[in-house]
Amino acid sequence: MSKNPFPLSKDELLKAYRTMRTIREFEERLHVEFAKGDIPGFVHLYAGEEACATGIMMHLTDTDRIASTHRGHGHCIAKGVDVHEMMAEIYGKATGACRGKGGSMHIADLSKGMMGANGILGAGAPLACGAALASKFRGDKGVSVTFFGDGASNQGMVLESMNLAAVWNLPVIFVVENNGYAESTSVDYATAVDSYVDRASGFGLPGVTVDGADFFAVYEAAGEVIRRAREGGGPSLLECKMARFFGHFEGDAQTYKAKDENELNRANRDCIKMFADRVREAGVVTAAELGAIEKEVEALIDDAVAAAKNALPPTPRELTTDVYVSY
Amino acid sequence: MRPVVGIIANPVSARDLRRVVASAGSLQIADRANIVLRVLAALAACGVDGVLMMPEHGGIRGHVMRGIERSRNLHEHRFPEIAYLDMPVTGTAADSTRAAELMRRARVAAIVVLGGDGTHRAVVRECGEVPIVGISTGTNNAFPEHREPTVTGLAAGLVASGRVPAKVAFASNKRLEVVVGKRPPEIALVDVALVTDGFVGARALWRADTFRELFVTFADPNVIGMAAIAGLIEPVGRDESGGMMVSLAPAATAKTVLQAPIAPGLIAPIGIEDWRRMPAGVAFQPRLKAGSVALDGEREIHFNESDQISVTLLADAFRTLNVPAVMHFAARNGLFQAGAAQIATAFA
Amino acid sequence: MARKISMKQAINEALDLEMKRDPTVIVMGEDIVGGAGAPGEEDAWGGVLGVTKGLHAKYPGRLLDTPLSESAYIGAAIGAATCGMRPVAELMFLDFSGVCFDQILNQAAKFKYMFGGKAKTPVVIRAMVGAGFRAAAQHSQMLTPVFTHIPGLKVVCPSNAYDAKGLLIQAIRDDDPVIFCEHKNLYGHETDVPAEAYAIPFGEASVVREGKDVTIVSYGLTVQRALEAAEKLAKDRIQAEVIDLRTLSPIDWDTVVESVESTGRLVVVDEANPRCSIATDVAARVAQEAFNALKAAPQMVTAPHAPVPFSPVLEDLYIPTADAIAKAASKIASHAIAA
Repeated sequence: MSKNPFPLSKDELLKAYRTMRTIREFEERLHVEFAKGDIPGFVHLYAGEEACATGIMMHLTDTDRIASTHRGHGHCIAKGVDVHEMMAEIYGKATGACRGKGGSMHIADLSKGMMGANGILGAGAPLACGAALASKFRGDKGVSVTFFGDGASNQGMVLESMNLAAVWNLPVIFVVENNGYAESTSVDYATAVDSYVDRASGFGLPGVTVDGADFFAVYEAAGEVIRRAREGGGPSLLECKMARFFGHFEGDAQTYKAKDENELNRANRDCIKMFADRVREAGVVTAAELGAIEKEVEALIDDAVAAAKNALPPTPRELTTDVYVSY
Repeated sequence: MRPVVGIIANPVSARDLRRVVASAGSLQIADRANIVLRVLAALAACGVDGVLMMPEHGGIRGHVMRGIERSRNLHEHRFPEIAYLDMPVTGTAADSTRAAELMRRARVAAIVVLGGDGTHRAVVRECGEVPIVGISTGTNNAFPEHREPTVTGLAAGLVASGRVPAKVAFASNKRLEVVVGKRPPEIALVDVALVTDGFVGARALWRADTFRELFVTFADPNVIGMAAIAGLIEPVGRDESGGMMVSLAPAATAKTVLQAPIAPGLIAPIGIEDWRRMPAGVAFQPRLKAGSVALDGEREIHFNESDQISVTLLADAFRTLNVPAVMHFAARNGLFQAGAAQIATAFA
Repeated sequence: MARKISMKQAINEALDLEMKRDPTVIVMGEDIVGGAGAPGEEDAWGGVLGVTKGLHAKYPGRLLDTPLSESAYIGAAIGAATCGMRPVAELMFLDFSGVCFDQILNQAAKFKYMFGGKAKTPVVIRAMVGAGFRAAAQHSQMLTPVFTHIPGLKVVCPSNAYDAKGLLIQAIRDDDPVIFCEHKNLYGHETDVPAEAYAIPFGEASVVREGKDVTIVSYGLTVQRALEAAEKLAKDRIQAEVIDLRTLSPIDWDTVVESVESTGRLVVVDEANPRCSIATDVAARVAQEAFNALKAAPQMVTAPHAPVPFSPVLEDLYIPTADAIAKAASKIASHAIAA
């Protein structure tokens, strides 16, 4: 084995790979299962964007909090939410992370610092500011990360939050997951100032753009912005440019994309393949080790799907429970 | 043939980690577009009526076209005709290289480049004999000089319209050629640095204790970045022959320690082991066995023990426009005085 | 020990006592300290009408002046509440909820349910409501029905200083999100208020005047108008029972229904616009629960289906008056005296 040239130990590299593979397998499997008609509602898949969630979350602990998006499965998995509970939730079962009452767009696990996927675009930004404010009051050194897309970057809530975070010097990171599309609308059309670093500097925040398909680029930049926020250096913006392998939601015919766009992205912009090639070529991790993780992840997702399908739905009394703590 | 100038404006320069770790600026897209408009107005004033532009999806094009349309609605006649190159946009440095190649084939008289050292490097890969003139919009720019873009545009316009002799207008430049293993050769306009980071990651050079070897085409204490390290040891001019090679080490263990501005607002202790002049045409073999190679301030290629590396300085590698010389020539010869054919109509 | 203080002082006192008791209580809002970053004096305003005046000096760093960004700071209060704080966010005028409605409607109200019971969001959003301040259409609306409609929220609207203090203390200690509506024309209204902390449980209406002939149900400022009406009615020998709902969500149906079962007559007074209001809600519920006890059709006295006007002449016509309440009660209760 060669000397490890990466800023992560071998165990950490394997952990990152396991996380990315788990997300990919989870999403690819949902794509298949959704087409069978077993999954109710809207499902938005994160495949292609795994390096972003993983490169960032490798720097976070359970005391750090994230506010996610409608495309939240990857964030959940990378933040440590139980995959079985997630799958059951997406199937609307009582064993789900939210007892079947939230679904794909509202998976949350506050014990893991996962403040929820969110069906309202941009709504996580103020919430993350609040979480960061709580950390500041508590002095627990927690950092909050809010994810939003190139589309939601045009929400007033997001812009207000950048200003608030700057004014209060909150330990919050604004992550723009720029996959080029707001649903079907191109970022070129919908965003007047095309650089999110420009946006950030308009609020006096430092911003950085990285290739979101390059795990090591995300990891390095995220490490630095998170370290700064943690130590009182204030908020930053991190833009990750990446490709969404599937449609906006499952069932999207994607007629707005170029003809071979998805194929080209899968061939040239697959963050997991890039990562695997890199660590293998460097001689730090063997193909067999990666293969073992792939098998392990496949089995995990198989099991999660089977368990979710066999689980019971919520009982009718659940219709009106959990509205209030007390009423 | 009517004079045509090319403009390559990179929308994605100056977005790297140095905005976070230092206080590097980020020139806004709208500002970059305004620079393009100022250059266009200056070119038109010198009688350049055709400009070839690089297409991009970073937002510059939209702002520029809006600016031209507004001016047209106001009947100002300030801008030349614009055509965009027909090429796919990838959003990477490859776009600048491809644009330079297409402009060379279109026989433009000069290429105006908006970007940092990295953008200029991408252009120089393919511009061949076409002279370039740079406008700095990047972060750690040692290569493009800082100047109001209107003046740069005027100089480019005068040269493109053939009113300044070549021996006045152009300067020749050195560059570095780097070969890593079996990869095709890479170039650098200012510096090649070998660092211990075994990964490209976020690219920017910002952790000084990883720096091991440095090769520069010129060493200038008036710039920031890697060229400043060499420049603070022993200045070597852009027009002097040869470059410089510096051996570096972590500051804690080095023989001598130099405080150098390696990024905007980031002055770091740099451990210096040794340095020497680097004659042109001689291949240097760096000692570092594994790490990555940074070209003009950005990590680009990782390498290990199995990769042979060589760094060679080339003289007379490409041409740039000598803006001060052109403007002085214009002043001495009355090129801007009323009556001087094309200028006069443009300023009327 | 009780002394007479205004509702404004009572609210200030509730915040003071809870901030002293619980370090996780923080207060945020626009100008709640006032003059932040400005060259003049500190604590310049203490809120736009001075409700939080003086707290900044007692609890430095725990009252946060915010930018004029309701989505950001109401959202931040909600986010902080899910992370162990008990923020009290002041929205100034409830009309401003228009700019941050998502954070209330889709975030705070729904977290607990959407997350399968795993979240709690103990946030209080204080805001001024109601007309009569010559503040025109965008600073005067009684929006209580809008929030009462939303499951997951609790809605409180006190009618006097005593209740305001006890209800606000309860709101801060409560684990659910609470919209705390303060009628701006009651800030100067004084009652006996004990100096110590006390909490008034939610969902317990208060019978502020007993009577046998007609039940008048209201909340907020119009409770005072209903009491005036009851005085007038007494002169005509109509004994009106006046019920102050105090909290609209949860709401104390039992007290309302029991009263109507005994009087047989209902007048609901609501400063909100008439459609889908507290008035329609109470009337419908009573019709369903106590239909057989009703001796006359329930009456609703509300603001008109119009925005709040500016001209004092028109605005005075807008809020239900004691006369209008008395008239509605007489209409259904006059035969009670004849009997």
